[in-house]
Amino acid sequence: MGRTVPTYRQALEERMKRWDAFGRLLTTPEEREAFRSLVTAARRYAAQATYVGSPDLLESIVLAILLDLAVRMPKTAGVDAAATRRAV
Amino acid sequence: MPDGWILDATEAPDGAHLLLWVKDDRTGRVAPTTIPYRPPFLVDGPRRLLEELAHTLDDDPAVAALGWRNESTTFYDPKPRRVLAVTASRNDGRARLAAAIDRRGEYRRFLLYDVDMTPGQMYHLAHGTYPFAPVDRDGSEFRATMPAEATDVPPPPLVVAPFEVVLAGHKRGTVVPPDPRLSGVRLGEALIEGEEAEVFRALSDELDRLDPDVLLSNDGDGFDVPWLYERARAIGLTSRTFSLGRMPAPLVAAGGARTFVSYGRIYHRPASFPLPGRFHVDRESSFVYDDAGIDGLVDAARLSRISLQTVARQSPGTAFTAMEIAQALRLGIHVPWKKNRPESFKSARRLVDADRGGVILVPPPGVFDQVDEFDFASLYPHIMVRHNLSAETLECACCPDSPERAPGLGYRSCQKRVGLIPRTLEPLLARRLAWKRDAARSDLPEVERRKASQRAKMLKWVLVTAFGYQGYRNARFGRIECHEAINAYARDLIARLHPFAEAAGYRVRHGLVDSLWLTALSPDHPPDANAFAESVTRAFDLPLHYEGRYRWIVFLPTVEGDVGVPNRYYGRYESGEFKLRGIGLRRHDTPQLVRRFETELLEMLGHASSAEEVRALVPRLLARADVFAESVRTGTWPREELLIAHRVARRAEEFVAFTDTTAALRQLKDVGVDRGPGETVRYLVADRRSRSWRDRVRVAERLGGDEAYDADAYLEMLARSAETLLVPLGIDRALLGERWQLPASPGRDRYRSPERPGQRRLAEPPTRPRSPKEERRSPNGSWERGPVGPRTRRSRWLPAKARGSKLG
Repeated sequence: MGRTVPTYRQALEERMKRWDAFGRLLTTPEEREAFRSLVTAARRYAAQATYVGSPDLLESIVLAILLDLAVRMPKTAGVDAAATRRAV
Repeated sequence: MPDGWILDATEAPDGAHLLLWVKDDRTGRVAPTTIPYRPPFLVDGPRRLLEELAHTLDDDPAVAALGWRNESTTFYDPKPRRVLAVTASRNDGRARLAAAIDRRGEYRRFLLYDVDMTPGQMYHLAHGTYPFAPVDRDGSEFRATMPAEATDVPPPPLVVAPFEVVLAGHKRGTVVPPDPRLSGVRLGEALIEGEEAEVFRALSDELDRLDPDVLLSNDGDGFDVPWLYERARAIGLTSRTFSLGRMPAPLVAAGGARTFVSYGRIYHRPASFPLPGRFHVDRESSFVYDDAGIDGLVDAARLSRISLQTVARQSPGTAFTAMEIAQALRLGIHVPWKKNRPESFKSARRLVDADRGGVILVPPPGVFDQVDEFDFASLYPHIMVRHNLSAETLECACCPDSPERAPGLGYRSCQKRVGLIPRTLEPLLARRLAWKRDAARSDLPEVERRKASQRAKMLKWVLVTAFGYQGYRNARFGRIECHEAINAYARDLIARLHPFAEAAGYRVRHGLVDSLWLTALSPDHPPDANAFAESVTRAFDLPLHYEGRYRWIVFLPTVEGDVGVPNRYYGRYESGEFKLRGIGLRRHDTPQLVRRFETELLEMLGHASSAEEVRALVPRLLARADVFAESVRTGTWPREELLIAHRVARRAEEFVAFTDTTAALRQLKDVGVDRGPGETVRYLVADRRSRSWRDRVRVAERLGGDEAYDADAYLEMLARSAETLLVPLGIDRALLGERWQLPASPGRDRYRSPERPGQRRLAEPPTRPRSPKEERRSPNGSWERGPVGPRTRRSRWLPAKARGSKLG
């Protein structure tokens, strides 16, 4: 419809087609499941990535995946800020 | 009371006059007044070339008059320029003359203005009149008694008559029998039947007696008028002896049929038949009639100064452009013929930044309750008005330090002048609000409320196109940077709303450009939704409306089931009203069976008052689905309800795969009906595995009512539809397939189209005409043959069953 630049969502799906090949050759169900959750994370934060409008697609994808991991990381296993300070 | 009402201003056949159709308020009769009117158009260019042009045009028979004027043409620069005003000798020759001048200037030396407005539109704008204006007569002059923009202009006393043509031995929607006769015409309340010549006589009498202003038809452009004219000519009637309009007009179409693409969908529009002095509203070819009704069309015609006929037939964008033109001429700006403003130069980085739409969040799939929905009313038009976004006010030369800048893009808005777009939009926004208020007034009679609501809907469409037209390359007053700026302001707004909503005790569940779905942070203390809407309206100076609280809402996931689809959800408000988006019921091609199925499922869900109760309904939903499945399986479901409507995207010979649609098109061709892109085919799936166009489907036009249908194919549709609606509740295709013993699912891979049985690639269209020998070699069955050799060889590898008997 006359757009010049593909939307983030379009670009993401294009890239995911490439990732798909990667996922297909994974051998264990656990790996495949984990891989799927990466793709899901990238899609989940499409709105935020669009809002940033970064010309670097991978930056947005990586950021989305990192955030998804950070959210799902159990709180207790998280980084203890005080411990980190002491170590430094 | 006024003396009368202007209905329309049309061009007189002599090319030099205008016919002003005025309805006398006392007698109710409509008569044309002939007014000499030939509006000039303007040519701007280098002085020497203009003078040369004037010299050449001086003895051109296509030119009636020439004159020099000082006019401000472009709205980027209000300084008047000396321009040549050219009056064509015939109004219908204006465009041709303008094109010749443009060609003379090698398409770049001259700029032309006021070329392609209709003479009627220009007359109204020059004389302060408008379509459906109440007028007082003063000699041969008519003066409007009220301005078009007033909201209390009474509706014109229009006679609207439904109109339908019946052919002998023909049922509507089926193939017309060869050499059909006219057997009847329905006009208003009257049904005229009898011998053909008699029908025409009686129809003329009835047209005279009833004297309708509007003929209202279903597919009148495609069926009723062409067949009526065809039969009129066949029995020797001419435009002198028979006319549907109020004046003789040739019994042929004006202009050809048209196929075009809009928002990714192909449309087909049949040729039109102008009826001088009368309007013909064809519900099939009118974008807006179903929403706007006659009242909405009248309102838009008044504001835009274009004929109701044009408003009904064209998109709301046409009406909006005409409203801009009206505003521009009032400001003394002329209307460029061809847009001559290219997109500003942008770096790739800037383009990535600018070329983005509104915020579309990804909702979490699942069932939720206690969800509050909020919508900004006409958000984009309001943004254009608030931030003075218009082609000439963006990045203007007069305000280099304007603090009003598009977030993230920095486009400046003018601080000194109000732009054309905001000037056009502001009264429209106020007017729509007035109609919406009327629609909600309990002291008005029901019919008045409905009319107000139709007028509001018409304006809604006009306002929607106002934004889209900023990005449309041919929009006269559009500018892509405006389009970008509007989106930037809208994105920024939603981002700023997030913390605001959280401070009010809300959590954002979903957001879609101008709508928000929020749930309470603490369910026991839900925030006051109305107070929140008011505080946002105040804080952001944009009207936020509280749509209502959902008892429950289901956000539907993507096919992979991982994340939600932004515009696919359904739910029930506390008011009891449903809201459905992106599900089968909202699609045009869904067969009645599936609609009925979904409606019943939704009715059952309607009894639930919380997410918990929705989940508890699963066993009953499954039982209901089973009843449907069993009934379909017996093969007795009414065939009419199984028809699938499909909008054709290609010509029959252009399809490369053999699909239901290909088969349906081929069947239609067989009975002499040719359907092209944008037109619709309706068919029953008879045997989806068949490779023969005769057996695979049955087109609606040849439906007998007792043919066998492909129960598996319809069960598959039911299962898909149930999955779409109920997958967040754990009901999916796999579960239903097992319950209903469906053949294994073709599988849904996002990146590869499923290999469906019975679907195969067809050969490329032949590049040379086939010899009779090759033709003979083709067996019956398939309608497009590939090379015989390879297909035969390949078929041998397949088991006989998979090969399909028709190929042999």
